[in-house]
Amino acid sequence: MDLNFTPEELAFRDTVRDWVEANLPKDISHKVRNSMRLSREDQQAWQKILGKKGWLTYNWPTQFGGPGWNAVQKHLFEEACARAAAPRILPFGPVMVAPVIMAFGNAEQHKRFLPGIASGEVWWSQGYSEPGSGSDLASLKTRAERRGDKYIVNGQKTWTTLGQYGEWIFCLVRTSTDGKPQTGISFLLVDMKSPGITVRPIITMDGEHEVNEVFFDNVEVPAENLIGEENKGWTYAKYLLAHERTNIADVNRAKRELERVKRIARAEGLWDDLRFRDQIALLEVDIVALEMMVLRVLSAEKSGKQSLDVAGLLKIRGSEIQQRYSELMMLAGGPCTWPYLAEAMEGGWQGDLAIDAALLPLAGFYFNQRKTTIYGGSNEVQRNIVAQTVLG
Amino acid sequence: MDFDFSDEQEQLRDAVRRWVDKGFGFERRHALAKAGGQTREVLGELNELGLAGLVVPEAHGGMGFGAVEAMVVMEELGRGLVNAPYAQAALVAPTLLSGAPAAVQEAWLPKIAGGEALVVLAHQERRSRYALSRVATRAVESGGGWKLSGTKVVVPAGDEADAFVVPARIAGAEADAAGIGLFLVERGAAGMSVRSYPTQDGARAADVVLADTPATLLQREGHALLEQAADVAIAAGCAEAVGLMDKLLAITAEYMQQRKQFGVPLATFQALRHRAADVKMQVELGRSMSYYASLKLGEPADERRRALSQAKVQLGNSMRFVGQQCIQMHGGIGVTDEYVASHYFKRLTVLETSFGDTLHHLGEVSARMTDEAGVFA
Repeated sequence: MDLNFTPEELAFRDTVRDWVEANLPKDISHKVRNSMRLSREDQQAWQKILGKKGWLTYNWPTQFGGPGWNAVQKHLFEEACARAAAPRILPFGPVMVAPVIMAFGNAEQHKRFLPGIASGEVWWSQGYSEPGSGSDLASLKTRAERRGDKYIVNGQKTWTTLGQYGEWIFCLVRTSTDGKPQTGISFLLVDMKSPGITVRPIITMDGEHEVNEVFFDNVEVPAENLIGEENKGWTYAKYLLAHERTNIADVNRAKRELERVKRIARAEGLWDDLRFRDQIALLEVDIVALEMMVLRVLSAEKSGKQSLDVAGLLKIRGSEIQQRYSELMMLAGGPCTWPYLAEAMEGGWQGDLAIDAALLPLAGFYFNQRKTTIYGGSNEVQRNIVAQTVLG
Repeated sequence: MDFDFSDEQEQLRDAVRRWVDKGFGFERRHALAKAGGQTREVLGELNELGLAGLVVPEAHGGMGFGAVEAMVVMEELGRGLVNAPYAQAALVAPTLLSGAPAAVQEAWLPKIAGGEALVVLAHQERRSRYALSRVATRAVESGGGWKLSGTKVVVPAGDEADAFVVPARIAGAEADAAGIGLFLVERGAAGMSVRSYPTQDGARAADVVLADTPATLLQREGHALLEQAADVAIAAGCAEAVGLMDKLLAITAEYMQQRKQFGVPLATFQALRHRAADVKMQVELGRSMSYYASLKLGEPADERRRALSQAKVQLGNSMRFVGQQCIQMHGGIGVTDEYVASHYFKRLTVLETSFGDTLHHLGEVSARMTDEAGVFA
């Protein structure tokens, strides 16, 4: 047992930290650090910088052009990015669909789709949730009917994150209604420029346009865009979820956000208010405990000696902590978070208010974080999964 | 970074677990507690496993093991609800003696390692609460020796101990960190009286009154070492709590699978399933922070103190939640004396208030916060 990273791991950490800090544009990290709006250009600029270095595919094996890093190295890279306040790597391409294409796609699909994901050139979206299928995802109804060498897709997806920029979307579609709901689902890649696709914004309570509805009206999709076998899509989707690992806890970002909580508390004269500071202290303990749990998982992955089935716990705890730090920031700002100015979400905005620009995004940030305990399998669904391990 | 246990550590775990399974069932434990909580014979059996000298240096007849081995043993003693003051005897006392003059170490450490001497820390006073620096007991030098006067309360195994390590004030005001000496007082020394009693967790403690009682000086400025010993005790308590919580959850899960109401097992009700998931969360967060506590024991004092307080906050919250909810999920049987769950609950309750409760340590974390945070901050 040893808490410390090896000298090799520490050297690796320094290398990735130095590189990220040297290559991340400062105007972008300023926005991330203050929960300001990121444009499509901001998002893609960073993904392309990473793509050029070969690190956008940081979780890919070497045979597909990834760096072949182990679990600890991936964690250290994620930590370096979070620490420097880089925009999060949009997971839809490199983290979600790529491993599925690698594992279940054919050679032609590898050649066609993986390079655009690796370079950050092609924007991918996720087509999972539907209006009637949230936590109960397998009940999805979007139909794909095979006609000759095409599928005809009809239905609706929703909560499509940043789908307004999407060029391709990977969808779970129903290809059969026989048997259990899970057995009639297929995994289909769809060009979002196809006729019959309409993307409509959903404005969330923070006033922002982050998620969308995507409508499919007789959309023709070439049959060669099917991944693997028809009606096996649920298996692939589960494989994808297994690939999300520890990063769902987002503990590296939590460490950075805790520093922001402290900064804001100091600026607002709350540091000497023991009632408030003790709440920060409690959050600090929560974050250290979460980080220890993440490190335990990484160690288990590295050695292969123990199996640690705590993904559900990591999701629950990580999301609660995300909500908590946004809540403490909002409370620290108090009434100074009330002004609602859409332009204050733009980086570099100073305005003519008596209130610091850093306080204005905090209410919206708090509102936005309510999603974390709902998405990715709601925390109640996660509790069902955890309970299964305790009670059978 | 590696959280696997070595083969040797796993063997140590198995040895303790086998002894618990064979020799320390709930009936025996219950009988010991009912008889007053004297457990010297239990310590003797642990000594037969070689555990008395676990962390005592080999030069003094011990095994010279470290914090991780101590953690492994404590987890298993917790799992078995062992009501003997092993942590006090085998982990805390050697730490306190490590600062003593060589002759004192040579006189006592081999006896501790051999299980012949039970030495316990007597630090709590009626008004000290959790402040290690709040010491009213006075030490006066006279005729080349020292005499102590004062009262220590809730001293573990107070009527079975062969000697006490007693913090006493040589100089300074009641709450000063400076001027606190550490002394060794042997059982039966002149002017000492001991009033012993059973404790809520099935063990035994005593008030120890000293009146011009002769004592051996271990260390003249002993506050830093006292803090270190307290941290050893906290880490041991965290590990014990992990064992207690692990086992209590297992007992509860088993009961929920068997007990039926409305024609179905309790384990089928979602309200209870979600509660069980919340309990599992607290157990795993607690285990994570117990590792953290033990692995930080060797760090410099500032970092060590902060880490141990962080750990005690997590474990304190975990202990209370797990204990309370496991009783609740049992229903009526959970509140009875004849059933094992209530005894786990009571031990967890006592542990939460050992060496600083959750609010005390939250205050410590709060006072010690810096800009950066995290396991490696």
